[in-house]
Amino acid sequence: MDIKQLWKNCLVEIEAGVSKANFSTWFKNTSILKEEEGVIYVAVPNEFVRDWLKTKYHKLISKTIADGYETMRAVEYVITKIEPDRQESPKTNEVQINKELPLKDLYISPEDNLNPRYRFDSFIVGTFNELAYAASQAIIENPGTKYNPFFVYGSTGLGKTHLIQAVGNSIKEKYPNKKAHYMTLEKFATDFINSLQGNKANSFKEKYRKYDLLIIDDIQFIGKMEKIQEELFHTFNTFYESNKQIIFSSDKHPNHIPELADRLKSRFAAGMIVDVSEPEYESRLAILKVKLRELGIGLDQDILEYISSAIQGNIRELEGSLNTIVCQYRLKNRPLTLPEVKNLLKNNIRPKKNVAIKDVVKIVTNHYNLEEASVYEKTRRKEIVKARQVVMYILREDFNVSYPLIGQKLGGKDHTTVIHSYLKIKEDLKNDQQLVQELEQIRVMFK
Amino acid sequence: MRLECEIEKIKNAINQVERITGKNLTLPVLSSILFTATGKSLKLRATNLSLGIEIEIPAKIEEEGVAAIHGSVLSGIFSNVIQNENVSIQGEEGNIIIKTKKSKIKLKGQLHDDFPTIPLVSGKEFEIDAKKLIDGIKSVYYSSSVSDIKPEISSVYIYSNEDNLVFVSTDSFRLAEKKVKIKNLEEIPGILIPFKNVPEILRVFGEISGEIKVCFNKNQISFSSNNTYLTSRVIDGVFPDYRQILPKESKTEAVVLKQDLLNALKLSNIFSDKFNQVNLSIRPKEKIFELSSQNNDVGENKTLLDAALTGEEVELGFNYKYFLDCFQSITTDSVSIKFNQASSPIVVSGVSDPSFLYLIMPMNR
Repeated sequence: MDIKQLWKNCLVEIEAGVSKANFSTWFKNTSILKEEEGVIYVAVPNEFVRDWLKTKYHKLISKTIADGYETMRAVEYVITKIEPDRQESPKTNEVQINKELPLKDLYISPEDNLNPRYRFDSFIVGTFNELAYAASQAIIENPGTKYNPFFVYGSTGLGKTHLIQAVGNSIKEKYPNKKAHYMTLEKFATDFINSLQGNKANSFKEKYRKYDLLIIDDIQFIGKMEKIQEELFHTFNTFYESNKQIIFSSDKHPNHIPELADRLKSRFAAGMIVDVSEPEYESRLAILKVKLRELGIGLDQDILEYISSAIQGNIRELEGSLNTIVCQYRLKNRPLTLPEVKNLLKNNIRPKKNVAIKDVVKIVTNHYNLEEASVYEKTRRKEIVKARQVVMYILREDFNVSYPLIGQKLGGKDHTTVIHSYLKIKEDLKNDQQLVQELEQIRVMFK
Repeated sequence: MRLECEIEKIKNAINQVERITGKNLTLPVLSSILFTATGKSLKLRATNLSLGIEIEIPAKIEEEGVAAIHGSVLSGIFSNVIQNENVSIQGEEGNIIIKTKKSKIKLKGQLHDDFPTIPLVSGKEFEIDAKKLIDGIKSVYYSSSVSDIKPEISSVYIYSNEDNLVFVSTDSFRLAEKKVKIKNLEEIPGILIPFKNVPEILRVFGEISGEIKVCFNKNQISFSSNNTYLTSRVIDGVFPDYRQILPKESKTEAVVLKQDLLNALKLSNIFSDKFNQVNLSIRPKEKIFELSSQNNDVGENKTLLDAALTGEEVELGFNYKYFLDCFQSITTDSVSIKFNQASSPIVVSGVSDPSFLYLIMPMNR
């Protein structure tokens, strides 16, 4: 039976049993909130009503509900907020000339700091993030025990924050007693510094340790902060020992966060480390479609396809481009054509990476501490050969320069030599962790 | 029910609770005061379903019992009975008989079965000196919004910040913040007391000295002293993040005597237009602090004030009423006024008194 209808029927019966004044005072603004395992939750506007219904009308209410709903076991009263009509007040002249203080409504609850906008409903799962998604679902099922800590990394704008906040929001909903808290590392650091200044190191510890789920975003900046690392280490241990879930996000793998203490590295690795990579074409298309549905706007398939092929990588940029188009759409009040879209997006599209071969050589030789000229020389000294091969590999892999051109520019080598070098490095990368890291560091320099 | 008690005590109690009886409510019994005589005391209770109050006074109880008596009738009676002696109250077949040495009054009682209970709040607790609590609320509550459209700002917002209990109110055109130092303060996440209930809280506890126990949860807050228990609904909402709009620095600062400014504002008021606008011009180089206002029907006026000025020149208009309001909360003799751009709020505070802060939005005309 529909619970709304049930309450209506009950009210009719109750109305017959009590005086009109009592009925309109105590039963106005009440409703059935939900039914869970036979317990009926009646929503009431405030504590006065709750207390009085409990003491005076509980029997009557229980009996009336039980008559219409046989599986009822108990009745509970819950105070719910009645949303006032948020109609704009008719603005008087005074309001118009008198500027308001730029107060913003707090959308984010100060207690958990989670943005309610980040939910799994609006989270697109593709091959690029399915592992991270699956892990996060497992955590929601078993917070604190399954994967603890949970470490998500990937470059900017790929939905890390969305994912970890969605975990927070889900856990908050699923376990109302658990206290979740989201913050950036920067917040953690400033809090810590403030507590030191105020001589309140203990209250700082207590503040964080009362949470059941701690989410720290952008942990990569911890590198240079030795004291903070130590504090985080202790906080981490407390959480870990009491089986409380911790979630981190970073734009680098913990092993690549510079100057990160080993004890933290190993602790991060103890749980689950997953990466979020860039979405592929199909995922980008899916993301666009979801965003459009949220905005309530339809765009032609070919336009969507164009956007998803033109804007690669970063989801944030994808959203930005879409917003530009939607804004134009609303302004013009008609669907845009493909050429118009192309014109709009021409600035958003990142130019294909172009790089001077000389620059690559410079960066690589710099990294290996060699003379720039040595790479062009005809020498087989081991360290130079390696640097030269790395240059070739990067030129080919990252910048798609043709083999003959690479050979020609690097001191007139044959294109087969270049192919050999390219394949050799590619092969070595599979086994040589040291090399992987070197390349990682070199690539950072190009960004 | 049969009891005897001091007239003065019951008179005060009735005065306090009568204000909280429900008026214009559909349930008639709410307009009455509930008398409960048990043990060695008489309890008087009233509620309007937003506030609830219970006051206990010592009494000689000869027979325990309960009665509901119309509040305004009772307060009418006791404000006219001026003998200073004992009064006896007696229930008799649904009627109430009030006897003093010289008068005998018979009142029709009401059915007390429908008189509701008052929520007993359980939750976090803290104690605060009554004077501090009243001072905190009084310093800010006039700034809250009177409209019902945004309940979270038609309220007084209370939260803890380190050793301070902070009181804030705003109607989005001005904002008042008062900090009160309290030792060993527990963490208070934020309570919103409905603006409409504030005058009653001030009235009930305004005369009391000593500690008040405050207890609160998500839905309700209670204040209790020795013999008085007052509980109010709280607003379920989030107060705007006002701290981010507090200007951190200022381009111009003026220090003036409070009384000078007050007089000048009152004078300007005569000439202000229907928007209550008063213009302020500050030119530090020429050492000029000038208030001016004009009204096409009345005329115009300019007043110069002695002031210590630093920083850049400023020229802006504001609603003088907002300015006048804050003087009730400033205890020092001189007032500091800080300005930034013409479009950002003016900050008013007492010189060397960091506990009170007042923001006014300028008019943009």
